[in-house]
Amino acid sequence: MVLDSDPVAFSNWIVPALLSFLTSAATLCAVALVGGYLISAFRYGPVGGGDVIYRMVLGGVRDLIALSPRRILALAWLAVQESLRRRVLVGFGIFLLILLFAGWFLDTQSNDPATLYLSFVLTATTYLVLLIALFLSAFSLPADIKNHTIYTIVTKPVRSGEIVLGRIVGFAVIGTVLLAVMGLFSYVFVIRVLNHTHEVDVASLRPVPNDPNGDRAGRTSLAQNHRHTLKIGPDGTGSTDMVQGHFHEVTAQESGDKTTYVVGPPQGLLTARVPAYGDLRFKDRAGKASDRGISVGKEWKYHSYVEGATLAKAIWTFSDITPERFPDGLPVEMTIRVFRSYKGDIEKGIRGSLVLKNPRTGRASDEKFFIAKDFYIDFLKIPRNLTDPTGKPLDLFDDLVSDGQVEVWMQCLDASQYLGVAKGDLYLRSRDASFTLNFIKSYLGIWVQMLLVTSLGVMFSTFLSGPVAMMATLASLVLGFKAQFVLGVAKGAIEGGGPVESFIRIVKQQNVTTQLEPGLTTTVVKWADSVFMSFMTAITGLLPNFNQFSNVSYVAHGFDIPPDAVLVQVFSAAGYVIAALAIGYLFLRTREVAR
Amino acid sequence: MNQRQRFIRKIAYACAIAALLLPLSWLSQPATQDGSKGGLLSRMRQEYSLSQADLGEIDPASETIKLATLGMRGVAANILWEKAHEYHKEEDWAGLSATLEQIARLQPNFVSVWVFQGWNLSYNISVEFDDYHDRYHWVIRGINFLKEGTQYNRDEPRLLTDIGWTIAHKIGRADEHVQYRRLFRDDDEFNGSLPRSQRDNWLVGREELLKAERIVARGTPLKGKSPLLFYSRPPMCLVNYAQTMEEEGTFGEVAKNAWKKAGDSWVEFSNRDLPTQYNVLIRLSEKEAYSKKADEAKAELDRLTPPGLSDKIAAEKRAALSDEEREAYDTPAERRTKEQTNLAAAVGEKLMVHAIDIADRITGDDHAAAFKAAEDGGQADAMARAIDIERDIVNYNFWMLKCQIEPDDDTLGARKAMFDGDRAFSLGRLEECFKAYDEGLKLWRKTIDKYPSLLKDTEVTEDLVISIGHYRSILHQMDRQFPTPFVLQDVLDADALQKGPQLPAGEAPATGTGKDSAGAPENDPAKAAP
Repeated sequence: MVLDSDPVAFSNWIVPALLSFLTSAATLCAVALVGGYLISAFRYGPVGGGDVIYRMVLGGVRDLIALSPRRILALAWLAVQESLRRRVLVGFGIFLLILLFAGWFLDTQSNDPATLYLSFVLTATTYLVLLIALFLSAFSLPADIKNHTIYTIVTKPVRSGEIVLGRIVGFAVIGTVLLAVMGLFSYVFVIRVLNHTHEVDVASLRPVPNDPNGDRAGRTSLAQNHRHTLKIGPDGTGSTDMVQGHFHEVTAQESGDKTTYVVGPPQGLLTARVPAYGDLRFKDRAGKASDRGISVGKEWKYHSYVEGATLAKAIWTFSDITPERFPDGLPVEMTIRVFRSYKGDIEKGIRGSLVLKNPRTGRASDEKFFIAKDFYIDFLKIPRNLTDPTGKPLDLFDDLVSDGQVEVWMQCLDASQYLGVAKGDLYLRSRDASFTLNFIKSYLGIWVQMLLVTSLGVMFSTFLSGPVAMMATLASLVLGFKAQFVLGVAKGAIEGGGPVESFIRIVKQQNVTTQLEPGLTTTVVKWADSVFMSFMTAITGLLPNFNQFSNVSYVAHGFDIPPDAVLVQVFSAAGYVIAALAIGYLFLRTREVAR
Repeated sequence: MNQRQRFIRKIAYACAIAALLLPLSWLSQPATQDGSKGGLLSRMRQEYSLSQADLGEIDPASETIKLATLGMRGVAANILWEKAHEYHKEEDWAGLSATLEQIARLQPNFVSVWVFQGWNLSYNISVEFDDYHDRYHWVIRGINFLKEGTQYNRDEPRLLTDIGWTIAHKIGRADEHVQYRRLFRDDDEFNGSLPRSQRDNWLVGREELLKAERIVARGTPLKGKSPLLFYSRPPMCLVNYAQTMEEEGTFGEVAKNAWKKAGDSWVEFSNRDLPTQYNVLIRLSEKEAYSKKADEAKAELDRLTPPGLSDKIAAEKRAALSDEEREAYDTPAERRTKEQTNLAAAVGEKLMVHAIDIADRITGDDHAAAFKAAEDGGQADAMARAIDIERDIVNYNFWMLKCQIEPDDDTLGARKAMFDGDRAFSLGRLEECFKAYDEGLKLWRKTIDKYPSLLKDTEVTEDLVISIGHYRSILHQMDRQFPTPFVLQDVLDADALQKGPQLPAGEAPATGTGKDSAGAPENDPAKAAP
C-alpha cells in the first residue's frame, strides 16, 4: 500500500486541531460581526446597526441554549418522511443493480481480485451515497420555502437552528440506514465473489526430487483465472503456493482404497494487517547519511533506491519493540522494488540482506538474506534468538533493542543492481485485526463524507435556490476531492498553467511543457490565472478535503484502518458540521421566512 | 410569469421536441424484412458495415456502460485514460488493468485503443516486473486483450496482425525469449487443446498473421499498414522458426524441412502482387526479369544509335547552359558556394543524356524502333529499381539466400558441429569441443565456397567469429597453435572489414594469420602462440 503521509496519532493531533478550529471560528465570528455591523450601520445608522447586531448575537445565544432535542428529533423525523416520499430508496435499487451486474464491468483476469472488488464496492457506495445526500439536502429547504410548506413549521415555536440541525440529522439518519444496508450487501457480495476452491490435478502430482519426506508436488485446476502449484506430504495434507494474494489448505479423504484431495477455501485473501511502521533513512554508496536513496529516473518518486554491493543502505528505526508485543520475534513484511541496470541472470532474482542493529550500542545480528519479490509482499520471520556475525548468540530484546528501538538495515548485494524502498515498504506485522471490523470502519469513513455533504447541502440551501444549492454543494464536493490538483495548479507544480492558459493551450493544441510566447498576452493570461487560482486556493482551504476521509485503500490492500485515523476523521468532520450549522443558522435567521 | 404563460411555454417546448423528433425518426427508420431499406442512417450503416452486428459481438455490458454515460462517452473515456496513465505511473497494475477493461467497454470499436493498450501491456508493463514469470504473464495479458478486441472488431486485420506479431516477436525475440518460449509451450490456458509439439510461438503467431491475410483477401482495407511488411511477416515467422530450432539444438531432417518450408513461403511471398507508392503493382520475384528486359532494350537502342550521337547531345546540352550554370558546374565541389552547390546539382540533372533524348534524335526508319526501345527500357528499369527498393525494405535478397543455403547438408552439418562445439565449450570439454569446431569450420569452408556472398552477411560472420574465438581459446588451453593458414581466414578478414579498425592508434590492425580481434583478451594470438 502506498503510504503518502505518516499516520497521525490522535493525541498529538487533537490539541493543535482544536486550537486551530477555535482560532478560525473566533476570526470568522469577528469578521462576521464587523461585516454585519457595517451593513447594519449603513442601513439603520451606527446606533441602530449596533442594536441589530446585539439582538442578533443575543438571539443566537438564546437559540443555542434553548435548542430542544425533542423539536430537533421531530424535525428530523419530518426530513426522514420527506426523503422517503422523494423515493430515496431508488438509490438503493440502483446500488443493487450495480452489484448484480458488477461482474460484467470488472476485470475478470485481475491479479488482485480482492483489491479490485473491495475498491469497487467501496467506491460505488461512496459516490452513490454522496449523490443521494447531495440531492436530498440541497433541494429540501428551498422546495419547502417555494411551496410555502415551511410556514407549517416556522409558525410553530421552533428556532432556525433547530430547523437546520433537524434537516441535517434527518438526512443523516436516512443516509446511515442506506449505508448500513449497502454495507451489508457489499460485504456479502465480496465474500461470495472471492470465495472459490480448486480441484487437485492428480495426474500432475510428481515426487519432489531429493525430498527426504517423500512429498509430492503438482498443480490445481483452473478457477477464477488462476491455478496454484501445491505440495502434498505422504499423509495427503499440504498447501498451495500464494497466488492472487491467497493460498489453500489441502486435505486427503480416504474412501475405500481411493484417495481424494479436498482443496479448502482461500486463506489470506481478506485481511486487516496491523503494521508497525518505522522511520526510514538512508546511507549513500560511500556510507554517508542521506535522506533519500538514488533516483533511477522514474516519474513517480515514491521509491528511493539502494545501490548494490556498495555501502548504500536503507535503515528503518522501529519504536515500541517489546517482548510483550512481539513474543516470538519480529514478523517482517516487505515489498521491495527492483531496478536492474543490466539484465544479469534473468532466472535469478536480485539479492538483498537484512541486519538488525541496536541503535545505541551498534551491536548487529548476522545477515538474513532474501530475494527481492518485486510487487509482492514477502514475509520474513526474525526469531528472538539470533547470532552476531561471529556466530555468538544474541537475544533480540536484550542485545538489539534499546529504549524500545531497533534498527533494520537493508542492503542490496548484487553489484550495479538496485533495490527500491519507501517508508511503508517494510513494516512489522504486529497482528491481524478483524476484516469485518475494518470493513465497518471503512463505511464509517463514507458515513463521515455523507454527513459532510448533507451539512454543506443544507447550509447552501438556507440562502440559495435548490438547483443553485445543489451546484454549490457539487462544486464543494469536486473541489474537496480534487483539492490536491487545485493546489498543484495554484503552486505551478502541475504543468500547463491555470484555466485561461490551459484553455489557450487546448485551442492552439500546444504542449503543456512548451513556454507561452513572452508578451503582453502571456502576462495578462498569467495574471488572470494567478488571481483566479488565489481565489480557488482560498475556497479549497475552507472546504473539507474529502480524500482525507476515504479509507478505501486501507481495506482494499488488506491493512487495518488505524483507530487514530478514524478519530481524526470523525473530529475533523464534526468541526465542518458545526461550521456549516452555524452558517446555515445565520443565513436562515436573516431570511424573512424564518422570522 | 403566470400559470397561463408557463403552460404556453411548456406546449411550445413539446412542439419543438416533436418537430425535431419527426425528421430524426425519418432519418433513422430501420430496415424491415419486407424489403424497405430504412432511413438514411440505416442505409449508411448498411453501406459502410457500421452496425454493431457487422463489426463484432454485441456485448450487453459494453452497451450498458455506453448508455450509462448519458452521451458523455468522450468525457468518460478521457477521464479513464487519465486514470490509466496515473495508475501506470504509480505502478498500480490491478487498477490499470481494470481501467483498461472499462475503456475497452466504452470504446469497443475504436481499434487504436486495443492496439495501443495491448502493446502497453505486453511491452511496457511486462518489463516493469523483475520475475520473468510475471513478465510472461503480462505479455499474455496484452495478447488476450487484443484477442478480446477481435471479438468486437472481427474484420479488423490490424488487431490480428498485432496478436501475431506479439506472439511471434515478443515471445521469440525478447531478452527472456528462452524462458518465454518454455513458458509458452507449457501454457495450457493460452494454447488450449493445441498439441504441445505445435506450441511454438513462431508457428502460433504465423497462424494469426494468416488469419489477418484472409480478412484482407475478403476485401477489408489494410489501414495504415504497409502491404509489403504485412505480407512479409508470415514467411519471416517460418524463417525465425527454423532459425530458433537450430539455436535450440534441433538439426537434421526436421530443421531441413523447416528451412524448405520457409523458403517456399518466401517464394510464395515474392510472387504476390504488392501495391507500391508508385501506384504500380510489383512482384519481388520479377526484378531479374525487368533488369534483363532493360538491358535488352538498352542494347537495342545502342544498336540503333549512330556513332557519336550521345556525345553530340551532351555537348549541345552543355552549350545551352547559362554562364552562371557553367561556372557553378565547373567550380570544384569544395570551392562552390551554397547557391552554386544547389545549381551544380540541377545542372548535373540537365546534362544527363537520357535514352529518350537519343531516340528522339534518331530519324528515318529506325525512329519508331528506337523510341520503343527507349520507352521499354525506361519502364523496365523503373520497375526493377522499384522492386529493388521494396526488396531492401524486407531484406529480401538476404532471406532468400539464407533459405537456399540453410537446408544444404553441409550448412546443416556445419551448424550442428558448431552448436556441439559451443555446448562442449560451455561444459569445459576441450577435446570434444576441438573436434566439433574443427569439423564445423571445415564444413563452413565448403558452404562459403558454394555461396561466397555469405561473407557479406554480418550475422553469419559475427556468429562464426565468436565460435572462432572459442576455438582459439580451446587451442590455447590445449597448448596448440592457431592453424596457419586458417581455414576461415576470409571470414575473419570480412568481419574486420565490416567492423573497421578496432584497436587504438599505434596498434596493429586485426587482420590475417590469426591476428584478429575476435577472441577475448586471453585469446590474443600473441599469448596463444608462444
